[in-house]
Amino acid sequence: MLDTFEILTTSGVVLWSRTYAAVSPSVVNNFINDIFIEEKSSVAGAKNGASAAENPPYKHDQHTLRWTFEKELGIIFVAVYRSLLHISWIDQLVDNIRAIFVGLYRDELTKPNTTIVECLTFDQYFDQQLRELEQAGGKSDTRALKSEVLSEDTGDEPPSPPNNRGQQALRGVSPGSSPNVSRPGTPSASHLLVAKAGPGAKLSRRARKMQNTTSAPASSGDEGPARKAKAKPVKRGRKWDADGLADEDDGVQLDYSVPTLTSDSEAEPGARPGAVEEVDASTWGSQTKGKFVLRDLGDEVNSILADADAKKNAATKTDAPSGLVGTGLSAIGGLFRNVVGGKVLTKQDLDKAMKGMEEHLLKKNVAREAAIRLCEGVEKELVGVKTGSFESINARIQKAMEASLTKMLTPTSSLDLLREIDAITSPSATSLRKARPYVMSIVGVNGVGKSTNLSKICFFLLQNKYKVLIAAGDTFRSGAVEQLAVHVRNLKELTAREGGQVELYQKGYGKDAATVAKDAVAYAAQEGFNVVLIDTAGRRHNDQRLMSSLEKFAKFAQPDKILMVGEALVGTDSVAQARNFNAAFGSGRSLDGFIISKCDTVGDMVGTLVSIVHATNVPVLFVGVGQHYSDLRNFSVKWAVEKLLSSA
Amino acid sequence: MSLQQTLKDLLEASLTPSPTVILFGLAFCLLAPILLHFLYSTATPYTTLPSVLLLGPPGAGKTALTTLFERGPLDLPLAKTHTSQVPSSIELSINSDDPSSASYKTNLDEAGATAKKFLLVDTPGHPKLRASSLAHLNSAEPTIKSSLVSDGGAKSKIKAVVFMVDAAALADGDALPSTAEYLYDVLLTLQKRFHSRNGSRAPASMPVLVAANKLDLFTALPAALVKSNLEAELGRIRAARSKGLLDSGVGQDDLAAGEEGDWLGGDGSEKFSFAQMMEFDVDVDVIGGSVTGDGPGAEKWWKWIGERV
Ligand SMILES: Nc1nc2c(ncn2[C@@H]2O[C@H](COP(=O)(O)OP(=O)(O)OP(=O)(O)O)[C@@H](O)[C@H]2O)c(=O)[nH]1
Ligand SMILES: [Mg+2]
Repeated sequence: MLDTFEILTTSGVVLWSRTYAAVSPSVVNNFINDIFIEEKSSVAGAKNGASAAENPPYKHDQHTLRWTFEKELGIIFVAVYRSLLHISWIDQLVDNIRAIFVGLYRDELTKPNTTIVECLTFDQYFDQQLRELEQAGGKSDTRALKSEVLSEDTGDEPPSPPNNRGQQALRGVSPGSSPNVSRPGTPSASHLLVAKAGPGAKLSRRARKMQNTTSAPASSGDEGPARKAKAKPVKRGRKWDADGLADEDDGVQLDYSVPTLTSDSEAEPGARPGAVEEVDASTWGSQTKGKFVLRDLGDEVNSILADADAKKNAATKTDAPSGLVGTGLSAIGGLFRNVVGGKVLTKQDLDKAMKGMEEHLLKKNVAREAAIRLCEGVEKELVGVKTGSFESINARIQKAMEASLTKMLTPTSSLDLLREIDAITSPSATSLRKARPYVMSIVGVNGVGKSTNLSKICFFLLQNKYKVLIAAGDTFRSGAVEQLAVHVRNLKELTAREGGQVELYQKGYGKDAATVAKDAVAYAAQEGFNVVLIDTAGRRHNDQRLMSSLEKFAKFAQPDKILMVGEALVGTDSVAQARNFNAAFGSGRSLDGFIISKCDTVGDMVGTLVSIVHATNVPVLFVGVGQHYSDLRNFSVKWAVEKLLSSA
Repeated sequence: MSLQQTLKDLLEASLTPSPTVILFGLAFCLLAPILLHFLYSTATPYTTLPSVLLLGPPGAGKTALTTLFERGPLDLPLAKTHTSQVPSSIELSINSDDPSSASYKTNLDEAGATAKKFLLVDTPGHPKLRASSLAHLNSAEPTIKSSLVSDGGAKSKIKAVVFMVDAAALADGDALPSTAEYLYDVLLTLQKRFHSRNGSRAPASMPVLVAANKLDLFTALPAALVKSNLEAELGRIRAARSKGLLDSGVGQDDLAAGEEGDWLGGDGSEKFSFAQMMEFDVDVDVIGGSVTGDGPGAEKWWKWIGERV
């Protein structure tokens, strides 16, 4: 069954949680990292407040997570359970809990400068929901039924009195107004129980038992009446009535004599929402206190859910203008705030400005797909946000886009090449690894500058006094080996004084590249080289045969880093190239980074690197900025973002 | 009758081109936008509490410390935490009469002592989200929005930086480079304030506390070792950066001009030590402690903060 349910803020504080079986915190941490920070999920708009059913389940380490995100308040609702289980009502639970929690605590959640939300009493609401949905678990059509009734509840509440039974019962707890509730007789309840003895019923009983045993330590501090009422849920008869609300009866019910009997006949057809029964006020009084609370709770929950639903419906409708004066004033206020700031942004405000931003990105050579996704993300982030003092919409968008580009282009782990090489070639005494050469290989389509960039990296390494072996892995294109030999000769001359050593490893043409690479690594280990740089044959990314040989290559050479060279030029299908190369190394391996060449030729139009990172989630590590061996640069995110947003 | 008369008089007066009317009209035109602006922006609270910025790698315990300080005086249990995605600030108060003997557990509302309020700003540690935290430290007088939830709100002056590290993770060795890298960026940003200052006014000094957390675990490194390991690693990074590739956007000619730009610490000595940051008015202390478990607790950190806000 459910392992844990957590309600946490985007700032990382768990506001409320219920744990049935301990789950390592890393499960939820990984979920946050992958879905929210690195946005690995390919589903567009995973971060807007879609319901749990629309969000793809996240699977990690035998656990499945279902979740929903309340964007406005920055709260994540997540349910964790074993992947082996199939829980049909889990999305419903997550969505309902979200609606209830937000409904109950909205005020506290918007308080500034605090992380405390007093929600100990939320335990009972959660229990109520869990019980209710577990009950419904056996029935396949629960969700449809429920939502239908809910919309009915909100839609035609005033005209048809029988339909707002739930609300009435809730508010009518005062004995005077003597609420009329369809009170199911014991016989009918038991009848129902027998009737739905499916797998769901079994499941729910087990779950209830578990809940009984474990909820005690988990929920501390609510020793109220609700608690007492919870104490013996297993014994309670239960009836599932039409509005999706489980009617709770305890043993007390057995005392009903006449009313029960009469209700029995009425309750049989009385699954229909109209069944109403007169109950004496004194009968109400004789009932246990806990009962009141429970009923109260169920109805309260229902009305909160109905409220949330109504709000959602209202939100989808276009809001009607509230009189001429009202609109006039708000229009003036809106215009004014446009200039002065302090305006709450709406989708309409943003749409036009976002179009401008999209155009801007396209002009910078960002692929359309990436530009649209970026703009959508920024727009979603900004809807409902208030602009700062004297801040225009465009300035706000600019700021949000800058943050979003920075986040996307910043690698999760920064590369310190020299340190990494040192760690491999001279491991510390405590680690049990053996010293071996550091292997790096370079891939890419024809003519993008693989050999040139390889030589640039080599030059950098030689300046730092490493002993480098260059392996000629391009055994295909004639002249490739000779070209490398020229580079090696140049490099030797250039760095002879600085103490670097470089050699070429080549086996001519026609040999299997993977084998050559493997032999090169073995040779380097034997001869005490620090680094092996493997050049590969350029291949078209849609050439199946050549691309498939990359997998074997990765297996044979075991490179520590596989870098792909891509061009910054306008009009190349760089996105498709990057995608295909990233997928070419088999399931366990992907690219480690990109070198974007010819950045000096495109000026500000560095959009290609955004498109590539967007498509693959692989970071750009180096950029090539010229024809000399020294024209290789570390990729600076700040530089790229500035170029992308500059309006020249 | 007389009312009508006065109204008529007023109307007449306002339409005659007299200097008073013109002045009045001008004043109205000029002031109205300003007044309206304040009318609209009163919703955001204007506070000018000082703030303390909490930085550090992911999983160090920043959010845990934040919840500890906030819940301590109220006797609430520590909240569970997960990876943070957005910064959050909390308002705390410290006994300003005697910060050195203060404890974060005393509820100052009850004790009746004069309290000094400040904001503690927790930030996400994930590498992708660091840039915005660092951006706050860029100016000569670092500030941060006092209300992070909604945009707007007054700027709050950053009085100190707490850089939290996981001393247990540092013992493994794998966490050391990434932790030190972040610290390097923080210190370098603070150092660069010197170059970005405008005028002759020296930038405000910025105390930095390296809080070695999780000392309750027996695998954790003691504070002294945390300090020396970090210093050694920072020195290594400094050396590596000086001979590494240039960043894109930095031309060869910029290089000659801004040579010392990326060199952390004052002198060109081989080994790096936190003391070298003194030259830039960045005062670094390393203090051990723990948020959870029966470790040394967090009182020392609280005192350190209390003495600086
Ligand atoms: N043993 C021990 N664990 C601690 C201590 N402080 C924090 N932790 C645990 O460390 C984990 C990470 O703490 P967080 O506060 O979420 O980390 P953070 O620094 O906010 O991380 P990000 O938000 O990702 O930057 C939590 O599981 C804490 O319970 C401590 O003093 N001792
Ligand atoms: Mg955190």
